[in-house]
Amino acid sequence: MANIAVALILMGFAAWLYTAVFAVLGSQTQWSKAWEYRETLWQGWLVTLGISVAALAGSVVFGLLFLFGQRSPLVVVRWTCRAFLEFVRDTPLLVHLLFGYFVIFAPLLSRPLAEQGWNDKLIIGILLLSVFEGAYLGEILRGGVESIPKTQWEAARAVGFSRLQIYRYVIFPQALRRVLPAMAGLFVSLIKDSSLLNVIGVAEYFYNTRNFISRSYAGLEAYVPLALGYLILTLPVAWLAHWLERRFRHET
Amino acid sequence: MKLELHDLVKRYGKTRALDGLSLTIASTRVLVLIGPSGGGKSTLLRVLGGLETADEGTVEVNGRELGATPQALLEYRRRNGFLFQQFNLFPHMTALRNIALPLEKAHGRSPSEALALAEQSLARFGLLDHAHKRPAELSGGQQQRVGIARAVAHQPEVLFLDEPTSALDPEMTAEVLELIQELAEAGQDIILSTHEMGFARAVADQIAFVAAGKIEELAKPSVLFSTPESAICQRFLSRVMRY
Repeated sequence: MANIAVALILMGFAAWLYTAVFAVLGSQTQWSKAWEYRETLWQGWLVTLGISVAALAGSVVFGLLFLFGQRSPLVVVRWTCRAFLEFVRDTPLLVHLLFGYFVIFAPLLSRPLAEQGWNDKLIIGILLLSVFEGAYLGEILRGGVESIPKTQWEAARAVGFSRLQIYRYVIFPQALRRVLPAMAGLFVSLIKDSSLLNVIGVAEYFYNTRNFISRSYAGLEAYVPLALGYLILTLPVAWLAHWLERRFRHET
Repeated sequence: MKLELHDLVKRYGKTRALDGLSLTIASTRVLVLIGPSGGGKSTLLRVLGGLETADEGTVEVNGRELGATPQALLEYRRRNGFLFQQFNLFPHMTALRNIALPLEKAHGRSPSEALALAEQSLARFGLLDHAHKRPAELSGGQQQRVGIARAVAHQPEVLFLDEPTSALDPEMTAEVLELIQELAEAGQDIILSTHEMGFARAVADQIAFVAAGKIEELAKPSVLFSTPESAICQRFLSRVMRY
């Protein structure tokens, strides 16, 4: 009963908001505008998809590097990693992108990349995004690995596994299960954060949508597809994570 | 097996877990370490098992000196078997896979060979019914028995058992001890530490009394239990035998 009442109230509120917004904007909204620009929006969405997939792979690479760097037997490596991680995690991504692109990578890499026929902004953007998300992933993974009791390391050593085999067969399978929700959250963030690449001029979904808005003075007809476009990318990741979580829950 | 240990020292911070420990045994099958907790039994076993290196001194097992490089120790651990008090099994694998995976990855057996050997090892100890259960579905005693089945599946030179029944209730203790006795009678070289004096007496060829990081006494069980020489060993035995 209470459920139904609350649901009705919420639905009523949503309906009111919807009609109120449309009462103001409805007369100006022409969905044909979005259709006219479908080509550039589609291109932008594909670029965002590409960035997300590439940065996802990249962040895993950097995450593992940071994880092993922090567990290195060499103190210097540990401290360097720690300091770098703190720097990355305590400054905004926007700053990384601007600083990393205009100060560090553009002077170094832009020309050689352009000569190879690569899109330098895209490559550098993916790299910076990978490092940023990789820093968080590295900490998530470290938390997972350190949550595995010491007895498991001992048992794995006792049966004759090498260091690499211990990680691969004993520690990671158990640790990944524990950090799966956090990792899924991070990957969803990564997809959303890719929209910030517009500040260095990467023609991704947000960038193209904004261009479309400034050219056609579009409102709702631009923002609704923008939101939906990102949801199409993020929801499957979230669902996949929930599914994996449920699948593995009974296995420990 | 033949053991030769000279002046072993192992420090943890300021405490000396092994304090100039020496031990020479020309030939024995089952060596049991007894002694007070914190006396160095576990540390000695961990050094002997290649899980830990001593800070000073030399260890020779069966005529071969224990290397100090990670690679040498890894090879050594692969030749032997080791079992802890508890939490030996990997919780995300079935009993069968717990045994088969090390055979495959650490001992280079083919997957089918590893599986067959693992099944054989479980069958040997009457554990085949539990092959496809995860550790959480097994009792403590069954877990330890699977742990032992894993530790002997590759036919180790020496089997090291560090208080294998200390975390178990009396009934489970009995089932694990029976299994160890079976292995001893089958000719397996074993070094184990225990607080079960009755069991030590029954299974040991030699008993070493370890206290304060040294071997205080080494003798056959009949001798050590009836006429202990050192005062500290007499006190220990009279205390643990009182009840």
